[in-house]
Amino acid sequence: MLTEQPIAASLVPIAYLVPVIIAATRWGIWPATLASIVSMAEADFFFFPPIFSFQVDDPQEVIDLLLFLVVALVSSNLASRLRQETETLRQRERDIQNLYDFSRRLAACFTVSELVSAIDNYLAQTLGQPAVFFAARSDGQLEQPKSGPVPKAVRESVTSAIAAAGNSVRSVIDASTQNVWLLRVVSSETAILGLVAVNIGAGSTDTLAIKTHRVEAILEEVSLTLQRIDIEKAMEDARLRLQAQLLRDAFHGTLSHELRTPLATIRGSASVLDSVPVIQKDERARSLVEAITDEVAELDGFIQSLLNATRVTAGGVTPHLEWTDPRDILNAAIKARARRLVAHKIETELADDLPLVNVDSGLIEESCGQLLENAAKYSPSGSTIVVSARRKQNDVVLSISDQGVGITVDEQPHLGRRLFRSQRHQASIPGSGLGFWIASIFVGANGGTIDITSPGQGLGATASITLPGSAMKQYELTGTTHE
Amino acid sequence: MNRPANSVLLIEDESKIRRFLRAGFELQGYSVIEAENATDGLKAATFSAPDLIILDLNLPDLHGSEVLERIRSWSNVPVIILSIVSSEDEKVRLLQAGADDYVVKPFGMAELLARSEAALRRYFKSATENPVVVAGPLSVDLVTRTVSLNKQPIRLTRKEYRLLHILATHIGLVVTHDQLLKDIWSGNQRDNIQYLRILVRKLRQKIETDPNRPRLLVTESGVGYRLQARLEDIAADSPPEILK
Repeated sequence: MLTEQPIAASLVPIAYLVPVIIAATRWGIWPATLASIVSMAEADFFFFPPIFSFQVDDPQEVIDLLLFLVVALVSSNLASRLRQETETLRQRERDIQNLYDFSRRLAACFTVSELVSAIDNYLAQTLGQPAVFFAARSDGQLEQPKSGPVPKAVRESVTSAIAAAGNSVRSVIDASTQNVWLLRVVSSETAILGLVAVNIGAGSTDTLAIKTHRVEAILEEVSLTLQRIDIEKAMEDARLRLQAQLLRDAFHGTLSHELRTPLATIRGSASVLDSVPVIQKDERARSLVEAITDEVAELDGFIQSLLNATRVTAGGVTPHLEWTDPRDILNAAIKARARRLVAHKIETELADDLPLVNVDSGLIEESCGQLLENAAKYSPSGSTIVVSARRKQNDVVLSISDQGVGITVDEQPHLGRRLFRSQRHQASIPGSGLGFWIASIFVGANGGTIDITSPGQGLGATASITLPGSAMKQYELTGTTHE
Repeated sequence: MNRPANSVLLIEDESKIRRFLRAGFELQGYSVIEAENATDGLKAATFSAPDLIILDLNLPDLHGSEVLERIRSWSNVPVIILSIVSSEDEKVRLLQAGADDYVVKPFGMAELLARSEAALRRYFKSATENPVVVAGPLSVDLVTRTVSLNKQPIRLTRKEYRLLHILATHIGLVVTHDQLLKDIWSGNQRDNIQYLRILVRKLRQKIETDPNRPRLLVTESGVGYRLQARLEDIAADSPPEILK
């Protein structure tokens, strides 16, 4: 026992280094220092004679103990620094991992709202602080964020940040909590999408600078992603437009061919029948042939409306402008709808001094035709439809007035909406609700305006198309001197 | 009236449309040849030497405009185009490529027959024939250059007469704006359609009963003008008289 004691006493302090190292790697420098002192005291108390006392007899052993303390302190310092290094490395790795995840998430973002939630998520994860996003509205104002309270000071500077529209990060200090908020406008090449505000908390200038730097790096990444989304969106738009175009062409080509070929057969065959002497002599047979012809005209008109509607919906109305006599347009419209106007009296009032109009005569003729059809549909048979054209300064006003059901105040604002049909007539008068809508778009494409006025229910209505006219001199229009 | 039958070649892929066209033409005393594609049509045009060709634009093997071009490379036979699409540009293109007229589907037989007759009349007209063109109440003497309405002579300016002359020599057929502008204003104002519109307006004031509702000098929207052989019925499409 005696022979072993010196060995044990010199080994003991080394054994006591274990808790010191553990404390240093687990909890850092101060717990390790404490562990060193406690270990030294314990070694002294339990192993250095006299045992069970803090006294030490041998001065040699005092030196041993002091050496032990120094070693413990140094190694705890080294171990804790190692720990810190590891910790930093781990943090850096986590950051890199996060940033990598973030870029991956950004790469998967196809809409701005996806992007916003990715930013929010990432900032909350890496900084442990919430980020809020102020989305920009189309009028340039910012929407208030849905999540999280935002201090008043931040709200105020948000407006000025947007007005400045710079790409730099500005910081705002919330006076009540001393938290620092970073604000950055997020914009693509074409538009400002909104503003991100990040609460990076309070702290020393150095830590804030590091955080600011990180947030900036992230937002830079975000801006790049936004530009990519912008490009992708433009490509997507182009693709959709192309699809719409293809669909429209298919509809115009195939469908129009498929629908019109049988119609052409029916119409043509009926017209041949109509010229056969036996049928011409038989009143009943003739009226049947006429019914076929009328229905075909009706169907053909409906197909034309559908084709027009697809043209309009696909955004494909490009007028082919040419100087035209407005009289020709009205006459052509009346002639094309002649069969459907037989039950009405058509009166024309065309002024002598009408200027020429620079329009796509086909489109305006179609619009007038739609208005004529509506006039015939919504007025009793036998009543008069007045078609007029007059000059108003350099403009030409084409009007179609009927003596029909008129328009109520409630209905007025809905006119011109696609598929709008008044409740009053849904059951009694057939129609698609496309007519006036198509007419107004066609007229608009020609630089004209269209409006309907009615003195009230049951008092008839007047639809007017106003078109800009030629500025040619009066004598040039009507004079006979021109040779 | 006993006359040798005019022969008409139908180049049209839809058999049902050929059927009513055949019936319609045969009722009017034409003899009919049918072809269901461009290849057969071109062969028939060469070997059967028809007096008139009705050509559908939408053929399975070759586009109608191509067929028209090939026919025009060796023949002046009247060609009337049938088409579903009614774009003005295409009509003008076809007329410039040598089509005599066009009819847009769906159409009535009366319309096609009127166009056919007009095209045939122009095709067969020779110098020895009566130089007076009659359009309803209007008559135009192409030799003496006199114009009368309801047998009363009327005075036209030089340009008005020029316009009427071109339309009269194409009576019943459409004449494009381009052609009119080129013939009337050979020089500087060729592209100015406004002058043509105004000239038409003035001519109408002299020859139409109601210049606001013209029934002789009618407009073909976006394409040109046509001088009707008969007063146009405003309700359109009345059956023609049966030729015996």
